[in-house]
Amino acid sequence: MRTRSTTRPGGRVRRRLTVLAGSALALVAAACGGETAQEPSTSAGGGGATTIDTSKPVTVYLGRHYGIEPVFAEFTKATGIPVEFTTGKDPELRERLVVEGPNTTADLYLAADAGNLELAERAEVLAPARSEVLDGAVPERLRDRDGAWHGLSVRARTVVTSSERVPEADVPTGYDGLGDAKWKGRLCLRPSTHPYTQSLVSSLIASRGEDGATEVVESWVANEPTYIDSDSEILGAIASGRCDAAIVNSYYLPRLEAEKGEQPVRLSWVTDEPGVHVNISGAGITRHGDNPAGARRLLEWLATDGQARFAEVNFEFPANPDVAPRPELVALGGFTPDPVRVERFGTLQPDAVMLLDRAGYQ
Amino acid sequence: MSTGRASARLPAALWAGLAGAALLVLAPVAALVSSALRPETDVWAHLAATRLPGMAVATVVLVTVVAVASAVLGTALAWLVAAHRFPGRNLLVWLLALPLAVPAYVSGFVWVDTFGVRNLGTAAVVLTLSLYPYVYVLALAAFRDQPAGAWNSARTLGCPRGAAFRRVALPAARPAVLAGSVLVALEVLTDVGTVRLFNVQTVADGVFRVWFGLAQREAATELAGLLLLAAAALLLAERRATRRSASGTAAGGRDTRRMEPVRLAGAGWWAVAGAAGVVAVALVFPVARLVAWAAEAVGRGATASAAGGVGHHLGSTVRVTVATVLACTVVGVVVALATRWSRGRGARALATSTTLGYGLPGPVIALGVLVVLAAVDRTGWLPRGTLLVGSFLGLVVALVVRYLALAVKPAEQAVGRVGRSAEDAARMLGAGPGRVVGRVQLPLARGGLAVAAALVALDVVKELPATLLLRPFGVDTLPVWVWQASSDSRWAEAGLPSLVLVVVAAVPTAFLLRTVLRGRSVAW
Repeated sequence: MRTRSTTRPGGRVRRRLTVLAGSALALVAAACGGETAQEPSTSAGGGGATTIDTSKPVTVYLGRHYGIEPVFAEFTKATGIPVEFTTGKDPELRERLVVEGPNTTADLYLAADAGNLELAERAEVLAPARSEVLDGAVPERLRDRDGAWHGLSVRARTVVTSSERVPEADVPTGYDGLGDAKWKGRLCLRPSTHPYTQSLVSSLIASRGEDGATEVVESWVANEPTYIDSDSEILGAIASGRCDAAIVNSYYLPRLEAEKGEQPVRLSWVTDEPGVHVNISGAGITRHGDNPAGARRLLEWLATDGQARFAEVNFEFPANPDVAPRPELVALGGFTPDPVRVERFGTLQPDAVMLLDRAGYQ
Repeated sequence: MSTGRASARLPAALWAGLAGAALLVLAPVAALVSSALRPETDVWAHLAATRLPGMAVATVVLVTVVAVASAVLGTALAWLVAAHRFPGRNLLVWLLALPLAVPAYVSGFVWVDTFGVRNLGTAAVVLTLSLYPYVYVLALAAFRDQPAGAWNSARTLGCPRGAAFRRVALPAARPAVLAGSVLVALEVLTDVGTVRLFNVQTVADGVFRVWFGLAQREAATELAGLLLLAAAALLLAERRATRRSASGTAAGGRDTRRMEPVRLAGAGWWAVAGAAGVVAVALVFPVARLVAWAAEAVGRGATASAAGGVGHHLGSTVRVTVATVLACTVVGVVVALATRWSRGRGARALATSTTLGYGLPGPVIALGVLVVLAAVDRTGWLPRGTLLVGSFLGLVVALVVRYLALAVKPAEQAVGRVGRSAEDAARMLGAGPGRVVGRVQLPLARGGLAVAAALVALDVVKELPATLLLRPFGVDTLPVWVWQASSDSRWAEAGLPSLVLVVVAAVPTAFLLRTVLRGRSVAW
């Protein structure tokens, strides 16, 4: 599954595989003509396009790295196309794509946050990919307007409280509820450097405007939260009594409980308008990759046949509404997601970060 | 620093090598700095009104506290083992150096998980415990190398041991302690992993807030320029201070007698107990925790990352490290020889410029190198189908740019220590520049070059951010595996790669200490 690089200490450079005629044409066409130039894809993740050279690997810049390799292995088993990937942080991989430009080594950019995907699109390193398969599989709200990237799984960020120290009646029904003075010194939040915090605040700006969002963030800061840069550690902090309330992604709790048994932590869906903040893991085909056809095949497969596996390894909700989530997630009960288009997280991210800076949020 | 020699023209090959080395380091720095010529005033105004003052204070406080604490701890421990005899001394000499093999970001998450405290104070403790051995090793060499004459005279004239330490031994070791402390300060200044773990907002951390949070690359590099200035100031201050105090200890007529260690008595045992405590906290505690985690992960069968098992990551680490160490040492020697042969200011300035990379955080260097490599790729100068971006060579180049200073300084000192008389004698006997270098200078500088290699290896083995950004497909070092597990707080799974990493990093640590103990001169 790995290593097409032929490298040696002392500095032999990597020799890129020759671009095959077919995909070279597609590449040129994609670069010049936008979405119309993409070859048509006919069936869902299956036998479809015939021009794909299955011996040629798809290379992925992978910003999400929890348990993904068996999913890629399954794709290879199903299609014969090998997958190579290099892991990293979403924004750094995006920056690498931008700097590499036409010489990029990546065919697909897979990130754990819509904001970074949108910023990649704005930096013009992603190629629009429209297909019936993707249109049918991924709801419009969870993909880029031009098809530069598509959401593949959904993460919902909501309120958790200690089931031992917080009575049911005290559980806030919205994110702003955590700004109430009764949570002073009892709050755990993720630092502003993390995309989860940034996209949450972006969604607050989208629904409440700049001033409304500032008010909420300032009320959190006034409660002197403990900042912990890990959702699973935040859950541990609630279990051990270091804090009583927090905001985390829903999948961390079932994942933790699958490992360590039941936790004294209560997950409650936010019910205030506009609903639960959701972000996506998603992917976009790179504009200058060698193997756009293979990348497209992988993207379509992840949105259809591979959808259940892709979402379940990380306890996330599938983006494709036709695919059922894992039973542990169903057990968390239904929720109303914030209807905002996730691409706005990219547009609003710099505003959100500056707002957090001004509010004195760590 | 030397008496005039007749004709010391810099051989063309050395000039070319020096210029090449300077270009290697300056190109990526320039690629970034050029963008700083049009300052992003909006971002600066925003930063100045929000986080910048706090970041500046946190940086100054953290760097100062860690550097001073390391200087005190490292010097005291070195004096304890250098000047005293007691049972277990030989073992303690080694154990006190080994915390250097435990990266601060690894002991950091052990501390975070155990105590749950994230603040500047804890960050300072963790960084000090991981970095003080730099001072310890250099001071140990200095105490050992100091001529016994001055010490013996002081004692014979009735100076008590304590006063003799303050007035004779310590001043003699001052350049070494200073050099070690500057090394520690630069490591802290450019650290991005440990500070983030402890929620300490330093300027280096701010670079990434601006770069990735605000998507403002130009402003981020401008902020990084601030770090570069601070680093340059530190190096300059050290150079000045050292030049002042080094004048008395000329390498000329050597006093070969060594100070005799005395038997430890009375209160000295408290010092030994303290030293054992340092070993317990800095080495035994984190390693024991890693062993427990690794055992848990192995029990669950979690002995591999997405990329492969221990073998794969170990192989990547060794390849990257060996290649970088070789490259750094060779380039370091070239730079050192060039400054030795040339008297000109130009050569001196070029040599200094090769050390700039050590003042910038890894990801900033990585980005600069990426920009340069991508530009070279686009020129079409390379053979068809070969690319530098995403290649092994590209990664090694970035690491050389980042750590070349660690090789240049010891190499310069080692070559500089070879007496002019030996070189002049060789030349008068008819040896050309090549033979002087090959038969006189390099063999005599061997010890210093070993130190250079060990220092570079120590940092490269543990390096994460530049490797993460630049590595080609299929190159996944141990720190990459540690990061993958620990960024998700899966400590148990981070235990095994961390433990292997500590063992690997112990090799250059041991090599460094052995070089010192064998009586080779050590300097940074």
